[in-house]
Amino acid sequence: MAYILFTLSVLLVMGFVGFSSKPSPIYGGLALTVSGVVGCVIVLNCGGGYMGLMMFLVYLGGMMVVFGYTTAMAIEEYPETWGSGLEVLGGLLVGLMMEVMLVLWVLSLNEAVVVVVGFSDTGDWVIFEGEGSGLIRGDSIGAGALYDYGRWLVVVAGWTLFVGVYVVIEIVRGN
Amino acid sequence: MTLTYMNIMLAFTISLLGMLTYRSHLVASLLCLEGMMMSLFIMATLIASNMHFPLINIMPIILLVFAACETAVGLALLISISNTYGLDYVHNLNLLQC
Repeated sequence: MAYILFTLSVLLVMGFVGFSSKPSPIYGGLALTVSGVVGCVIVLNCGGGYMGLMMFLVYLGGMMVVFGYTTAMAIEEYPETWGSGLEVLGGLLVGLMMEVMLVLWVLSLNEAVVVVVGFSDTGDWVIFEGEGSGLIRGDSIGAGALYDYGRWLVVVAGWTLFVGVYVVIEIVRGN
Repeated sequence: MTLTYMNIMLAFTISLLGMLTYRSHLVASLLCLEGMMMSLFIMATLIASNMHFPLINIMPIILLVFAACETAVGLALLISISNTYGLDYVHNLNLLQC
């Protein structure tokens, strides 16, 4: 349990290798969804409940659903999975082997480099809590500051999303 | 903690390599672009939590907003390609070929 953050980051890299080895995009979407879940749990483990759940909502609930529907429109009859060809399988195996070798290399470093690059076994889950009020959640306060210090940024982002809808309609209309 | 940061940067690099290499589909490169945005989001949120500097959290939220816009436009282009050519194969896009 003490190494949970490190394990999750290794799983994140493996998930990223899963869709970067370019199988058929429906399987790539599945790997991206799994990577998104792992990434959200990483963010949650560092105390960022608001940001992790927001990533779940926007990314997995919004963009992956749209990706799934669009891929279903533009897919071929026999999608190739990870084991159905040497290219995809080779890319996947090379990526996984690279990650395993990186972990083994970092774990075997000597004392000279271990301060910078090394693997500290308690650095993962010890979050330094200062004194004072413990009822302030850091990430919610930061996201709330978006609407205070960054109110013009919110207006610009909202207008961008609104214009983006019109851009998408014009592109899809064709002719 | 350094190894976690290294893994997330490695995930970004792997997605970048996946986006720059084409196989047959165009939407697979869009998926790798989404992976890049997600790794940037996770990295920025971890830095904001570990340095106890909550004001950084504005940056991943705005990154997510503009990544969503970019995804929408990319998928709209994919749909128009798919309407013209039937599938989104990359070797169909040969109008600028010599």
